[in-house]
Amino acid sequence: MYKVNEIKELIRALDNSSLEELEIRGENKTKLLLKKTASSASAPVSQKQDTAQAENREEQAPAPVFEQQQEQAKDPASAEKETETKSKADTSHLGEITSPMVGTFYSAPSPEEGPYVKTGDNVKKDSIVCIVEAMKLMNELEAEIDGEIVEILVENGELVEYGQPLFLVKES
Amino acid sequence: MRDKLLAILHDSGSSYISGQEISDKLGISRTAVWKHIEELRKKGYKINAVTKKGYKMEYTPNSITADEINAYLDTKTFGRVVHSFDQVNSTQIPAHEAAREDAPEGTIVVAEEQLKGKGRMGRPFHSPKGTGLWCSLILRPSFPPQQAPQLTLLTAVAIAEGVRKVTDLPVDIKWPNDLLIADKKIAGILIEMQSDPDEIHAVIVGFGLNINQKQEDFPEDIQSRATSLAIAGAGQYNRAQLLAEILKQYEYWYFRMLEEGFGPVREKWEALAVTIGKYITAVTTRKTLCGLARGITKDGVLLLETEDGKIEYIYSADIHEQRST
Repeated sequence: MYKVNEIKELIRALDNSSLEELEIRGENKTKLLLKKTASSASAPVSQKQDTAQAENREEQAPAPVFEQQQEQAKDPASAEKETETKSKADTSHLGEITSPMVGTFYSAPSPEEGPYVKTGDNVKKDSIVCIVEAMKLMNELEAEIDGEIVEILVENGELVEYGQPLFLVKES
Repeated sequence: MRDKLLAILHDSGSSYISGQEISDKLGISRTAVWKHIEELRKKGYKINAVTKKGYKMEYTPNSITADEINAYLDTKTFGRVVHSFDQVNSTQIPAHEAAREDAPEGTIVVAEEQLKGKGRMGRPFHSPKGTGLWCSLILRPSFPPQQAPQLTLLTAVAIAEGVRKVTDLPVDIKWPNDLLIADKKIAGILIEMQSDPDEIHAVIVGFGLNINQKQEDFPEDIQSRATSLAIAGAGQYNRAQLLAEILKQYEYWYFRMLEEGFGPVREKWEALAVTIGKYITAVTTRKTLCGLARGITKDGVLLLETEDGKIEYIYSADIHEQRST
């Protein structure tokens, strides 16, 4: 598998080039195909990992299309992996705001007040998006990303782990 | 210079100290000493001057100024930069601003009065003029954010130790950082952190300590739960002296934690804490748990053993001791 950042870099490189298509064949029968079409440059990137053969890929819709194919028919866990990757596929291009510590997640400064942010709100790097509290230390978490809050992944009062994603952000 | 003069006058207590002795100690002329004495008088200090005997402090306005704090301060960095105000909404607000503008570690913000003193979850904290310590301390620890909650227990230790040293009053700690005398609250602590996921920018330790209030000075709804050092002890206490001692304790325990880890702080906390071994109710935003407070983890997280023998980790909750009726 390529890392998200590596793929992003390749997409950028392709965008800035006159090439229409970029295909990389790697080890373990990994194949990465990036294609440009005239229609839309801003369409969402889709990531897919399955055992399908290369012939199918022409039917994949939005462009630029990204496919990563890995043939692993002999791997019994491949079916499970497939669904897992697919379910995450839609969010792979989104930024995450993660929790810096174990603690309780609060969406608002106090129970009487409204939440810091709602789905659809635009945030800046220094916008406070929530509080994570552990042992009465209140951590007012800053977004560190400019963009739009696409999804809030935890509920008010929930215990969160170190590094757990709290928000999905569409970077602007 | 004025802080050193104050220190000399405070040290000599109820006896006179000659102008010559002061001028020797400070390395300034006797005329200069006189000028500084006059300045202090203008600020509300009453200083007796008797020919051939010298000077004696009759009355200090018990104000919380940089000079007054400095007169007692025995620290390297803590409290060496002071932002003092007559009135603020909350000392946390200017402290947060100062922290964003690169104020050095140990900087404090103090005020005679807070109009909107606040605790955890925006709860109001009553902080009337001239009666207590309303203070925020800026820290810039080098450890990662997930270690920062340990500062909660350290803060409780530092304030409890500072108050014990100055007043000899038996201050107890209730998990994680409530400070009690005879089961009533004498202080409120609010710790806020500016951080990104991997780095602490600043920790703003806010605390309010009830010092010279009378029982009727507290709002009715908290009278049964709140107390002051003056109520619990004997007479009025000097606020600057208390602050200086708290800062000294804070600096000591803080740098010890940076060098040796959380262990020594945790041991001291356990020695001062009254929660462990008691049957408690822990109220979190989601659920209420009852059981025996077994102890704390190496990070300070409370371990609660429920009736069915299960150990729950408590990260944040309001703790109430279960009383036998």
